[in-house]
Amino acid sequence: MDKSAIQEELLKMFGPDRLLHDELDLMYYSYDSSFLTKLETTSPYAVVFPRSTEDVQKIMQFAYQNDINVIPRGAGTGETGGCVAVQGGIVLDLSTWDDIVEIDEKNMQVIVRPGVIHAKLNEELAKYNLFFPPDPGSSLMCTIGGMVANNASGLRAVKYGCTEQYILGLEVVLPNGDIMITGGMKSRAIKNVSGLNLTKLMVGSEGILGVITRIRLRCFPKPQARGIAMAVFDKLDDAPATVLDVYQAGILPSGIEILDSSAIKAVNDFKPHIKLPEAEAILLFEVDGNPPSVEFEGNVIREMASKRARSVEWATEARRMAELWEGRSVTAAAAARVRPDGTRIFAGEDISVPLSRVADTLRAIRALGVKYGIQVVNYGHIGDGNVHTAPVINPENPEEVEKVLKLVDEIHRLAIEMEGTTTGEHGVGAVRRQYAHLEHGTAHDYMLKTKQAFDPKGIMNPGKLI
Amino acid sequence: MDFKELPVVKDQLMKCVRCGKCRSVCPVFAEIGNETVAPRGHVFMVQMLKDGKVNPDQQVYDHLSNCLMCETCTVNCPSGIDIHELNAAARSYVYNKNPNLAKEMIFDTMWTNPTLLKHAIRIMWGAQKTGAQSLGRHLGLTKLLPGDMPKAEKILSDIPFRSAKSQLPSTNAAQGDKKYTVGYFLGCATDLLYPEVALAAVDVLTRNGCEVIIPRGMKCCGLPHLANGKMDTAQRLAADNVKIFNAHDFDYIVTDCASCSSALSAKNMQLLLGGTEHEIEARKFSGKVMDLNYFLINVLDIKPPVNKNAPSIKVTYHDPCHLANAQGIKSEPREVLRRIPGVELVEMKDANRCCGGSGTFSLTHYDLSMQILDRKINNASDTGAALIATCCPSCTMQLKHGVDKHGLPMEVVHPVQLLSASYNNRS
Repeated sequence: MDKSAIQEELLKMFGPDRLLHDELDLMYYSYDSSFLTKLETTSPYAVVFPRSTEDVQKIMQFAYQNDINVIPRGAGTGETGGCVAVQGGIVLDLSTWDDIVEIDEKNMQVIVRPGVIHAKLNEELAKYNLFFPPDPGSSLMCTIGGMVANNASGLRAVKYGCTEQYILGLEVVLPNGDIMITGGMKSRAIKNVSGLNLTKLMVGSEGILGVITRIRLRCFPKPQARGIAMAVFDKLDDAPATVLDVYQAGILPSGIEILDSSAIKAVNDFKPHIKLPEAEAILLFEVDGNPPSVEFEGNVIREMASKRARSVEWATEARRMAELWEGRSVTAAAAARVRPDGTRIFAGEDISVPLSRVADTLRAIRALGVKYGIQVVNYGHIGDGNVHTAPVINPENPEEVEKVLKLVDEIHRLAIEMEGTTTGEHGVGAVRRQYAHLEHGTAHDYMLKTKQAFDPKGIMNPGKLI
Repeated sequence: MDFKELPVVKDQLMKCVRCGKCRSVCPVFAEIGNETVAPRGHVFMVQMLKDGKVNPDQQVYDHLSNCLMCETCTVNCPSGIDIHELNAAARSYVYNKNPNLAKEMIFDTMWTNPTLLKHAIRIMWGAQKTGAQSLGRHLGLTKLLPGDMPKAEKILSDIPFRSAKSQLPSTNAAQGDKKYTVGYFLGCATDLLYPEVALAAVDVLTRNGCEVIIPRGMKCCGLPHLANGKMDTAQRLAADNVKIFNAHDFDYIVTDCASCSSALSAKNMQLLLGGTEHEIEARKFSGKVMDLNYFLINVLDIKPPVNKNAPSIKVTYHDPCHLANAQGIKSEPREVLRRIPGVELVEMKDANRCCGGSGTFSLTHYDLSMQILDRKINNASDTGAALIATCCPSCTMQLKHGVDKHGLPMEVVHPVQLLSASYNNRS
């Protein structure tokens, strides 16, 4: 079936208000945040805006019968090209299907459709003194569906883990149009070990197995108090050493973030009122819980950090805490500011290594930056070894592009050498798929067989993840 | 200057990492919800234009025009991109490849000539007063207007007969000891649609020791032109205004209109006249430009007369985008209101969210503009205030329309009108 025939059929099914098929409109769906989609733009055949499980089912049945690729998309904030039709196909823009179906306060869970924005969900849950703990830097714009598909985590993964730990059940429309409910057809249980855990299989599957249409999420009681300690270091190595000291003192902060000197400069340039001190590295420790425990943990962190840090600031005042946390959460995009004639790119940006290798890894990345003559901004979730690396280049200079692609490849291989992984939370998408066998070996073969079982025609988001 | 060589295109375009933060704050995106109207989508389209991957045709122009130019995205962009400037530059580039006669007539002939503009407004006044407008609506003749104008003409209500310029002398002496000589930039909309705001502004300024000069021959600030792809005309108007105002020795140049002060700001002047022969004079000019509220609080430190018998009135304040986003001025208008005896300021939800007016946007995108307006009016109404105060004639026009549409017993005023009334002991 050719593109115009596909568009015609979809127009009959969904009408002009829930379909984009004009060439110019489709171009806007050729990108996400990845550097890959800055280099190459591929438009989908059509974009559909489903509003019900039946809508998705109709599309999948049509696509299955006609061998057409289908690519689910949330807010398009990913960094891997995961939501882009790299091999053509129909994009499902799920971001406007944003109903919070039910907040089941008594059972500490919430049922949502995929397009609900993370920040919006927590705003609603706060009314019930609940929260959904994973806290991606893109909270204001990313969708819960996207978080589930990528198994996102973010700034509080140290204590609260990743999205997968909160998914109790899913409704998934499979490539042939079947509807599968995981986690028990009628279950509202929080603990559930019955059957093969297909929920966990679906979480992080990046849309290659089916379309997630309904999500049952576990919520936690909202902590009553928070505090943030900012420790300032003149030596980079002192930062990871301090993280280990804090753990060994028996403290598990909700988040531990690192910004290196370039990241500090970028944040101060974007948000001067935050006034981060100039330093080789800054650590931000967030603790939460009840007020006495926050105070106790804050005191221990201050004591531990003071051994190596030039200064330690402890903030419990809401405004200052918001400033400091905002400083970290905007670093990803603000990194572009370190070079007036350049920009940061999202490539090689998400490696994760064992805690014991963080310092070595940071040093190695700096050395690679020197080797290729590329400025690299480092920041990230040091508490779980997830380092975000932001190369800053002029993307219009072909030589710099060539060099940075080599740099990024070396960073990914470095992560595997350091007994880590190419991606801690952003996912694989189209950009890290080439490392799948190197990283997973035989397990990769079984991943391919699993994909074959769910999607024998290979129409679900091809060219991604595995 | 060649589109690709404009500093905003050359230096800033590449910085977009498409993080999508702009999606979460854009009022247009909140209504339409697809990527074609996301600010990063506009940035992407500018990149496509620059790279020659799309033709600079009317369709691209229409896509770029799905933007209020409210600057909310710019203020929130972590990469520091002036997204609205990129959009304006691209619109201008595309428009120049696809000029149209109606626009040329409106923006080049009429809107550059204060006398012609005044006559046009007079004709509209005549149409309203003689019943021709109502008759035209009744007979369906207004439906013959181009674009969204058949619906949008309703926004233009109650056009006054006399402009501010015809009611105010060119020189207005300071009352008491003179402190400053102030050039009053009297914007087109204040002059022709809301002359009462200009009268109040001159009243308050002269009472507070300012000699107020209204230079004759001043032109439009150029913002409507910039938003409609007429950057070259905006440049010409800016150069004219610089010349006219710099011929005087003003201590300050003050305007009550948020759009005018943003158009005359150093940043916008640099966009328009940077790298031209006018650059130095433009800098001298824009260095003196100040929003009226900012001037009243930070320079004059006004102290309205104490009046314990002043009737109590609830007022809510709407932040014009061109004041709050473009210039970061949020506290001064509120402070002006707080200093007025009897005024109780109540904040509405999302006070700094665009009302959907945005200059000519409500005329070109009426339905979308009304969706955005409905949210604003609901928020304003929820406060229980009797008055909505704002500092932009475009917002005023839009909010008045919203209040009428919703049948609410609210009025829309500029803070300086309340201030002047307070000085004159009027309720």
